[in-house]
Amino acid sequence: MIQHACFADTLLDAAKEVFETMIFMDLQLCSEPGRRVDGEALMATITFSNSIEGCLAVCTDTTCAEAIAINMLGLEAGADLSVEEVSDAIGEVANMVMGSIKSRLTDTYEGIQVSIPSVVRGRELVNSLGEKSGRVSVQVNLEDAHLMEISLLYRESAK
Amino acid sequence: MAKSLLIVDDSATMRKIVIRTVRMSGLDFDRTEEAGNGAEAIEKLKQSPVDIVLCDVNMPEMNGIDMVKKVRAELPTCANTKIIMVSTESSQDLIDSILREGANGYITKPFTPERFQEKLSPFMN
Ligand SMILES: [Mg+2]
Repeated sequence: MIQHACFADTLLDAAKEVFETMIFMDLQLCSEPGRRVDGEALMATITFSNSIEGCLAVCTDTTCAEAIAINMLGLEAGADLSVEEVSDAIGEVANMVMGSIKSRLTDTYEGIQVSIPSVVRGRELVNSLGEKSGRVSVQVNLEDAHLMEISLLYRESAK
Repeated sequence: MAKSLLIVDDSATMRKIVIRTVRMSGLDFDRTEEAGNGAEAIEKLKQSPVDIVLCDVNMPEMNGIDMVKKVRAELPTCANTKIIMVSTESSQDLIDSILREGANGYITKPFTPERFQEKLSPFMN
């Protein structure tokens, strides 16, 4: 079983890799751990299963989500994007972060299967997996401005 | 000679990123098409085969593995089409099984233009 603290490092390293190589945004650990995303937010979740099961969530406010989508699409700052375009971009961020986590955990947890991402929009969004699950989360700043929360709910599966 | 390319991914954002990365890698395609899943890709390939397909694995409707199987089994006009998978799936067992089904290469996400250059240039002549 992987240690809690180790999962937090894995989350951070995976997110850094994705944001540096694919999105071209600087990502640093937030100086105020535990800070929550406020206002209207988008949360992309992706579930995984096999020897370990759970859910990865990436949550950020709509302004940050738009900035991410603009960078991913290579558009000019302030470009007009549809709700679908922004949701799709955030879903793909979760997909790539999950992929990177998966390859980092492959020695401990082989053959993790992942779902297709889903994205919801709302306020004070939280995800839960019920009893006996572990939760680790990291808060990061993008480009020294935006706050993003990446969380992983997990439990060792019964099978 | 310039080549034709089909990009298959359920994320429109990812398709744009793939297009940009191909451009950054310096590879030259004179025709680039997009499809949102394996089934759409099969329809496009039936109408006009391409030289190279860059294909995601996890997609709704028809995933990338089923697409490879179908192209190899049912589309003789695509016998020379090279299919390179582009996916967050990184397990060696899965990669081996997709290659056995007839894919010609595998690129894991996140990726770089250098990786595209390395994996695609053998098929550009
Ligand atoms: Mg996909």
